[in-house]
Amino acid sequence: MIVFDQLKKSDSHLRTITWSVLLGMAVLLAGLWWVQVISYRRYAEHEKAQAFRTVRIPAIRGKILDRHGAPLAENQPSYNVSLYLDELREEFKQEWSRSRPRKLVDGKMAPVKLSRSERLGLEAQARYRVASNIVQNLGTTLRQPVALEYGQFLRHYTNQLALPLPLLSLDPAQIARFQEQGRIPRGLDLEIQPQRFYPGKTTAGHLLGFLVQDNSSGADEDAFFNYRLPDYRGVVGIEGAFNDQLRGKAGVKSVLVNSLGYRQSETTWTAAEPGRNAVLTLDLAIQTAAEKALAVNGPNTRGAVVVMNPLNGDILALASSPTVDPNAFIPRLSHAEARRLSDDQLRPQINRATQENYAPGSIFKIITGLACLDAGVDPRAIVHNPGYIMVGRRHIKDLAAPGDYDFRKAFIHSSNTYFITNGIRAGVESIVRLGQRLHLGERSGLTTRQEVGGNFPSSKRVRSRWFDGDTANLCIGQGEIAVTPLQMAVMTSAVANGGKVFFPRLVDRVEPADPASGEETVRFPAGRLRDELGVKPRSLKIVREAMQADVADGGTGKAAEVPGMNVCGKTGTAEVTDEHNRNVGRNTWFVSYAPFESPRYVVVVLVENGQSGGGTCAPIAQKIYRAIQYQELQNKLNQPLVARIP
Amino acid sequence: MFAIGTIERQSKVDWLMLLALAGLMVVGVTFIYSATMVNEAASLTVWHKQSYFRQIVWYGIGMGAAAAICLVDYHALARWSLVAYWGSIVSLLAVFVVGSVRFGARRWIDLGPIQIQPSEFAKLAFILAHANYLSRPADELRQPGVFWRAIGMMALPFLLIMKEPDLGSALILIPVSLTMLYVAGVPPRFINRLIGGVSAVVILIFVDILFAPPNWQIKLEEYQKRRLLVYFGHDGAPRNATPEQKAEARRAQRNYSYNVEQALISVGSGGLLGKGWRQGTQNALGYLPRAVAHNDFIFSVIAEEKGFMGSVIVIALYSVVLFTGIRIAGQTRDRLGKLLAVGVVAMLFSHVFINIGMNIRIMPVTGVPLPLLSYGGSSVLCSLIAAGMLQNVYIHRRSY
Repeated sequence: MIVFDQLKKSDSHLRTITWSVLLGMAVLLAGLWWVQVISYRRYAEHEKAQAFRTVRIPAIRGKILDRHGAPLAENQPSYNVSLYLDELREEFKQEWSRSRPRKLVDGKMAPVKLSRSERLGLEAQARYRVASNIVQNLGTTLRQPVALEYGQFLRHYTNQLALPLPLLSLDPAQIARFQEQGRIPRGLDLEIQPQRFYPGKTTAGHLLGFLVQDNSSGADEDAFFNYRLPDYRGVVGIEGAFNDQLRGKAGVKSVLVNSLGYRQSETTWTAAEPGRNAVLTLDLAIQTAAEKALAVNGPNTRGAVVVMNPLNGDILALASSPTVDPNAFIPRLSHAEARRLSDDQLRPQINRATQENYAPGSIFKIITGLACLDAGVDPRAIVHNPGYIMVGRRHIKDLAAPGDYDFRKAFIHSSNTYFITNGIRAGVESIVRLGQRLHLGERSGLTTRQEVGGNFPSSKRVRSRWFDGDTANLCIGQGEIAVTPLQMAVMTSAVANGGKVFFPRLVDRVEPADPASGEETVRFPAGRLRDELGVKPRSLKIVREAMQADVADGGTGKAAEVPGMNVCGKTGTAEVTDEHNRNVGRNTWFVSYAPFESPRYVVVVLVENGQSGGGTCAPIAQKIYRAIQYQELQNKLNQPLVARIP
Repeated sequence: MFAIGTIERQSKVDWLMLLALAGLMVVGVTFIYSATMVNEAASLTVWHKQSYFRQIVWYGIGMGAAAAICLVDYHALARWSLVAYWGSIVSLLAVFVVGSVRFGARRWIDLGPIQIQPSEFAKLAFILAHANYLSRPADELRQPGVFWRAIGMMALPFLLIMKEPDLGSALILIPVSLTMLYVAGVPPRFINRLIGGVSAVVILIFVDILFAPPNWQIKLEEYQKRRLLVYFGHDGAPRNATPEQKAEARRAQRNYSYNVEQALISVGSGGLLGKGWRQGTQNALGYLPRAVAHNDFIFSVIAEEKGFMGSVIVIALYSVVLFTGIRIAGQTRDRLGKLLAVGVVAMLFSHVFINIGMNIRIMPVTGVPLPLLSYGGSSVLCSLIAAGMLQNVYIHRRSY
């Protein structure tokens, strides 16, 4: 071979040269082997790192639907005008060459020599002039001034050059104006982005929760991106509890950029997987009715409504007032709205149905009554009410008129004397036992992160330093007891359904956005039994009849009467005292179920600082029952029609 | 065996070398096309103004010139060597007077439609003259006077080319001259002394540039200094510089090391098999500056698009040219032919080694073209004339 022939030469000089050339070529080959084969990965990554920018594309957020599939939270297209800087490079260049400083040299205009930083500064200004001209013309087209600050432009240019610069989102009229112009100006384009939208505005606002901007990666996504498009994270409510399922899986887009950082081309590496839909147990019609009814005394009414199916614990409506509109958090909360939400008198941000402790007052006499009857108190036995009752040295007023009271009369007129006398006779343990079976003082495990457990004495607590006065307070739902409207709905359901204490259920299932995808649907079973009340059916029957009489026979709850519904209820008014034992207000309650014969609905109404349970809350419950009745009628009329459609 | 000998005697030219040269020219056109047709604007230029077409034209002219050289016996050429040598010195001087400035260096003479780079031709003229001078009987070379005159012959164009400034082209003269002196039979002690002296000067220069206080440093051209500093990973900021100055120096260093860095990324990201012809991204996206991609950094384009396999082919083609050149040197019967062949081989090898070495960062950045592959008329012309001189030595090897 040609190489080895040379090595065998007798001419020592040429031999040396051959060796040298051979060595040189070997060094080059070894170097190339090292760079191209051994270190290939390193350089390939380096090359990718400088030429590709990865962009996180948020997935379309899953919908939140009511039990019939009506949307509570969905997405609507938002039309954004963006400026594509990579299309303007020619204009940038022209503007720079037009505007660069020149001076007269030998009768010709020659560019002035500038230092690097001077030149970069002037170039940046030239680019800004081009962009801001386009933006100004856009403002004229849209008939709305559009601002592009120099700082904003510069920041985008230095940090996010590979992405279009978002200018503003358009309303329908502006979309029309934008599209009507003969030719869309160079560099501008309309993009459509899904945006979270709550069609019912404040409907179930508390329950749905709200979103905040958060572009960070989910658990099973790539952790590193060069850029992230705006995304949201649910904080509380359903949006918060089911954030991981609703959010879906972000996709990855890679943008190829040139050495100046301008976008060259785009490819989607991984498409975003849309989020899953959450189907609630809520009934939108009932929810709307409940919110409307709660607001009859003005939008600043502080109160809550819970509507529950007593047969399985499904929550049909959960309203809290004053309301919040989760739309206000998109794209971000305004200062005015933030101020409104943090008003420390109205406290609109808390969900009063589950997140606030209230003294139950007289509605707790349902439990006291059950405990007494179960302990053997004869419902026909008479207790005399002198208009007050003395417990030890304490004087407790009785709002029921002085006279003789049996169980039924005492229940419908809510006589403190009767229930305290019999409660002490039955013993505090029997009341505490019932409360424990209802799991008062405990959270029910709602996933919305908006729940408090309330307060209820333990059996240990009542064994030491517990006096008759404490028992007397407990009998009439005052003192060491605090409950949430949701807990009272569970209690009323237990009375209505014959003693079953259910876990309240809010979410029916989480299903894939595309039913054909074959992903499995996660279902949350209805009617999860938490406990049994364990009282005699006879006692329940007596209490139920008393509740029916409270509405139907001119009791305190007569304002809740709905013809054809046979509503049963109990009113309550609890005094609210501050730490110095001074009266600062009252909570008014109405707990109810209907119909008497076959209970299907439980409605619990609470209003802070109402007139009285019967005066303020019972009419609200009545409105809700009327709406339910109307709804049932509608369904009955529609049913044959629906059945005919396959 | 006899048959092989007959064929060898009958063959007029070294076909193997011609094949390798043809291969290199094909590779050259192919990748200059790839390196320049990167965007729409480039492909809209009329075909006869395209770089690849101009390169083909230069190949044609170069082959014509090479063929013409072959017609004249190299002994006859050698008689005119001093004329060529002094002619090249005059043209180098002319660069300072009428030369045009490009990229901050005065290296070109404008001849209307074409621009020539006298330093390229000076290398050839130097080889011819040097070979002619050293072809005297070996005994004479033992005289120091003859030796120093030979060194002076190299030093004159060296200084002129360095002054242009074109450090790379100037530096090529040193290994060429040393190789020719060595093969001519100059006593080793002279050469050792010369190598020792040159290395000492070079080391002193480096130490001076890298570590000496600013006032004591040799006044190198700013860009030369930068390139050297880049190669040694030094940012060149004085020790007592303010943080702003240091940052500025580091930024400047980054800018200068940018080409090398990007060339290295191009070569490395090519991998074993490359990204495919015209699929290289480094050049298309402008990371590898377009101004240099098709000339000084053409190798990184080839290496990126054809991978290690492509690099091996390029190295193999050059090896064929170099080893056939050495074979020709061995086949000559006279010192002149041998020295001419060795000089040309040394020149081509230096170009190849420095240019490819620069792409993989084992050599500092100097603007040395890759023979036949880099875009550029003067370089192509000289490389082909050099090859023609080798063939000339081969063809006329018996006629003394």
